[in-house]
Amino acid sequence: VRGPRFRRLKIGAGHRLDVKASGVFVLGIGHGNKLLTDLYNCHLTKVYTVGGLFGKATDDFSDTGKLVEKTTFDHITREKLERILAVIQGTNHKALLMHSNIDMKTQEAYELAVKGLIRPMGKSPPIITAIRCLQFALPEFQLEIHCLHETQQYLRKIVHEVGLELKSSAVCTQVRRIRDGVFTLDDALLRTQWNLQSIQNAIWDCQLKVKTELEKTLGHQDESRLHETDAAMAHAADS
Amino acid sequence: LREAEEAAPVFQYAGKAAKRKDRVFVWGFSYSGALGVPSFVKPDVGWKKPRRIQATPYRLETEEKISSVACGYGFTLLSSNTTDITKVWGMGLNKDSQLGFQRSIRDRTKGYEYVLEPSPIPLPLEKPQQTRVLQVSCGRAHSLILTDSEGVFTMGNNSYGQCGRKVVEDETYSESHLIHQLKEFDSRVVQVVCGQDHSLFRTKKGAVYACGWGADGQTGLGHYNITSVPTKLRGDIAGVNIIQVSSYGDCCLAVSDEGDVFGWGNSEYLQLASVTETTQVNVPRHLPFKIGKIKEAACGGTGNIVLTEEGNVFVWGYGILGKGPNLIETAVPEMIPPSLFGWSDFNPDIRVAHVRCGLSQFAALTNRGELFVWGKNLRGCLGTGRMEDQYFPWRVTVPGEVVDVACGVDHMVSMVKSF
Repeated sequence: VRGPRFRRLKIGAGHRLDVKASGVFVLGIGHGNKLLTDLYNCHLTKVYTVGGLFGKATDDFSDTGKLVEKTTFDHITREKLERILAVIQGTNHKALLMHSNIDMKTQEAYELAVKGLIRPMGKSPPIITAIRCLQFALPEFQLEIHCLHETQQYLRKIVHEVGLELKSSAVCTQVRRIRDGVFTLDDALLRTQWNLQSIQNAIWDCQLKVKTELEKTLGHQDESRLHETDAAMAHAADS
Repeated sequence: LREAEEAAPVFQYAGKAAKRKDRVFVWGFSYSGALGVPSFVKPDVGWKKPRRIQATPYRLETEEKISSVACGYGFTLLSSNTTDITKVWGMGLNKDSQLGFQRSIRDRTKGYEYVLEPSPIPLPLEKPQQTRVLQVSCGRAHSLILTDSEGVFTMGNNSYGQCGRKVVEDETYSESHLIHQLKEFDSRVVQVVCGQDHSLFRTKKGAVYACGWGADGQTGLGHYNITSVPTKLRGDIAGVNIIQVSSYGDCCLAVSDEGDVFGWGNSEYLQLASVTETTQVNVPRHLPFKIGKIKEAACGGTGNIVLTEEGNVFVWGYGILGKGPNLIETAVPEMIPPSLFGWSDFNPDIRVAHVRCGLSQFAALTNRGELFVWGKNLRGCLGTGRMEDQYFPWRVTVPGEVVDVACGVDHMVSMVKSF
């Protein structure tokens, strides 16, 4: 009995993840690559937990870089941090509305703004849609950041800038992506689970979520592509 | 490497007791001098160009901590509650002496018609080193200054009796030294409000007095004539403890301690159409809105805005009301969705704390210190950086926490606490 055999697999990656960062990393296999481009065009937000440390400033904004300056930080309170975060959120909200390329004078723009659905659907600089403080224990703190079109280095720069605004300095100790569009930490596979069966199960589980999200955002979706994704799973024959 | 890091010097930028500074930011049309920055109108250096419109907030340096701001039609008043001799500064148009007499340096007998930077206004106080100025208010061509122990001072145009003194025929108001003092009210005056050509005074006992032009019924005294002496209002607010009054054009609103709102004056733009079909109402009428207990109200030229105890914002009237380009007029208050002020599942405790009105603009301050504006963007007065009208609430980027804002016809001034 012979079944279809695949000798080569095409694997594509979703949004990039730094060497120093960790977290959810989406891969598409075979025909799933086409879904990847569609997901990219949806411009969904990604959620990171970013850990920071007050008192130091380095050249690459992380704690492994070369030290530039040390400052005091005992005047910083959680309230001051949250004030700064509110301002960051405010300016980024403005940038969100401005880059979304919708004419502000239309009724449609008003309705989308009320529902909070205005998003830049094309190229745009990194925008933070929501930011809040999860933990605060001097000198460490942890933030949860929801963003679009960002790079991990941009997030580290944000930590550095928060430090500057608070009249001190900060470096980023940890960047962890906990959500990439529809894929959360629960769907992600650990290093120990990188075997065929788990991968197959994971794809099956996520199918429905990906499908609804694509339909919602892009309007129409080719049904046939999804069936091909199942068929694309076979022996990992990549040499 | 580790030792080098440990040995590095530690810099201190701010100590534990670093205080937050109070600042004043201005934006809008500058050629009237109302922004108080003379280099916008007359550049002091050769390479600077005159700036007709300041489209984004610009910091204004003041000598003292400013506690109250008011914007009139082309002029601004700043006041501080200090016990120093100089308590009030004014800038902008002074053609009717709404900023008092500003002696010209070139000719000591004449006064300035345009004041380009905040200039002190000398007040005829009996005890200048004890009395404090609590609040200022500006109308079209007159201003009111409220003190804690010496009553209310009025200056400016008095052709309709809005300064509370008898109308003198053919009086020239420019370069006038006259500042009138009003003391006879049933109790201490706690709030003064200027409409376009009329004045409202609210006393501690909860009564409202009015004087000035009344052709639209904005004095609320039951007739359409001018009044030159502040007279107590009756109608639906007789006996009611009013806690806030507001006016800017020809319509007036008052809020009672029980959360009811009363209105009188011009109703051509459906401001009072919920109780009457007539276009002028000269007696205060209770507006029976079922939107909850009202905390604060503000009146603009053609539209009104109220804030309820729950933190919801309702608008009605005519013009750009803040619910998109399709809502141009409504007689019944419509709520503006809180998500436009930054409320979301992520930030569920954002509330609007204050509402203010200019002639055709609205401003709302949230409890996080953010300022949202919307309405007609007349000569850049919204401060958004763009010249287009804004049909729904839009954040103004101010480097600090906005404590209060005063809206004028074509400029706005805000009091901000730095971070």
